[in-house]
Formats: sequence, C-alpha cells, structure tokens
Amino acid sequence: MEKQLPKEYYAKLEAIQAIDFVIYDLVLYLNTHPDDAQAIQQYNYYAAYSSRLKTDFEACYGPLRFGMPVQNHQEWEWAEAPWPWQV
Amino acid sequence: MSQPNTPFRRYYLPFRGMFDPCPPIGPKVYVVPPNVLTGFQPPDYPQFPPLEALRKGTLWEPFFDYYESPYRK
Repeated sequence: MEKQLPKEYYAKLEAIQAIDFVIYDLVLYLNTHPDDAQAIQQYNYYAAYSSRLKTDFEACYGPLRFGMPVQNHQEWEWAEAPWPWQV
Repeated sequence: MSQPNTPFRRYYLPFRGMFDPCPPIGPKVYVVPPNVLTGFQPPDYPQFPPLEALRKGTLWEPFFDYYESPYRK
C-alpha cells in the first residue's frame, strides 16, 4: 500500500466518535428534559468541542464533513481513499 | 450459575414434557435492561467519561448493564 494511516488518525477519529456519541445521548436526553439548563450547557460545550475536533482533523487528514470548506485548493480530495469502510 | 441476582435478571423454567429427549437445562436467564425499570430519568444521573461511554454504549451510569453469559463456563 502506498500510504499507511498514522496512529493519531485513529486516535483522533475515536475521540470524535466518542464526543459525537455523548452529543447523541444528550440530544435524546434533552428531547425529554427540555428545561434541564445544566444539560443544555453541557451539550453546547460538547457541540463546540466536536466541531473543533473535526476542524482539526480536517486540517490534518483532509475533508471529513460533507459540505465544509476544504484546505487543499489544488486538488479535490473528497472522493479520495480512504473511504469510511476502508479506514 | 454464577449469575448475581441483580434486579435486571429474570429466571424461568422451560416446560419439560414427558417425552422430552433432551437433558434438562435448568432455569433459563433473561436480561431486563435497567432503563426499562427506571421510568422517567431524573436530571442528576452520573455520567461516564466520553471514551468509556462509547465503550459501554450509554452515557448514564445507572443505565449501563454488563452482560456475562450465564451459560458459558
């Protein structure tokens, strides 16, 4: 294989996955507890943290989210390997 | 069976007919998930840290239920 994914790639991806999991659980919780201010504050914290993580990931390894601005202006990398199931 | 008798385990005895060729298995265990029994979730549940929550499958500690197969020795 011409290039092997670095270890941090997986570490960062797992961190993003964990934070998004927390966000999903908080959203489900907030759907039934709309007036829980503490949970809303925690949700905002994790939502901001998740977008920071993803922006940082995209700066290092190419586009991750659909429809977001890309760093590489010469080459379109969205369709490049590795695809999600190849990671 | 080393299955601890947590509130989330239930036992039943499968019916054995007169002509049942198989040896008796004994009481069978099934799991009642904690979130079924708790009703409306209070606002102050303790939480797992994110990475652990991902591993355990839930953010809220009281909802986590480990599962060890009572049949595998």
